[in-house]
Amino acid sequence: MTAITTIGLLPVLLVILASSLELGALRIVEARVHSAADLAVLVAVNDQDDAELARTGRLQLTSDAAAMARAVFADNLESIASALAVDPSVIAANASVRVDPAPPTVRISAVVPVRTPVFGALFFHPVTDIAIKTAGGAR
Amino acid sequence: MGRDDRGLATLETVLMVTMLVPMLFSIIEFGSLFQRWLAQESATIQVARFAAEVGGDTPEVRALFADTLRSTGFTSADAVLDIAPSRVGWRQPLTVTVRSTASIQIPFLFGADVPLRTTAVVRGELDR
Repeated sequence: MTAITTIGLLPVLLVILASSLELGALRIVEARVHSAADLAVLVAVNDQDDAELARTGRLQLTSDAAAMARAVFADNLESIASALAVDPSVIAANASVRVDPAPPTVRISAVVPVRTPVFGALFFHPVTDIAIKTAGGAR
Repeated sequence: MGRDDRGLATLETVLMVTMLVPMLFSIIEFGSLFQRWLAQESATIQVARFAAEVGGDTPEVRALFADTLRSTGFTSADAVLDIAPSRVGWRQPLTVTVRSTASIQIPFLFGADVPLRTTAVVRGELDR
């Protein structure tokens, strides 16, 4: 009886173990995606129009701040490209980048599809979407 | 307890120990690995931000890297810092990579050196 219970519980334990590992891997990718978005916002916010600052003393983002944010976001996603279900440049292109002029603020929100092969095998969920939001302003 | 029952109890204990001990050590070792990765990731981003401000690879950047790692319980001798290119101008891409190796040991299963690589890409903020 004990042997049957042990043999019966073994697959359940293995499923729990595999799911835990996949969840851990997913959390790592999520942290990396957040870092990528944070860096993109920081770089875009630092991209100030110096001529305007010298002329008026006002902080103003350059006209291509949104494009800069997307480029840096894509650059930083490259290091985890193998874990993503879509190319980093496509994720960055589809991300919502909002640039507010006053006060100068950059906001990024994106949905990042991540490969989760274990979830795919166990729950028919091979791709898990991670939604991120981040914002930064110039001071 | 009869002779057969004692044998069964021993078998159950052996099964439990050989399964639970690796599981417990896996949790501890992977948790430690994750903590180390987070510390390295954080140091990489800080170093990248500072390197962008000062225009690339300088002794001050290396000093910040050593200080940041030390504050998280590691030493710069444990990790290799790579900044490319060594000098950047305004809006030029700057890639900072940190490589290190973490050792994990899981009883009854395996022991391995896990390479940890973190990268941050920023833009130069000097010489506008």
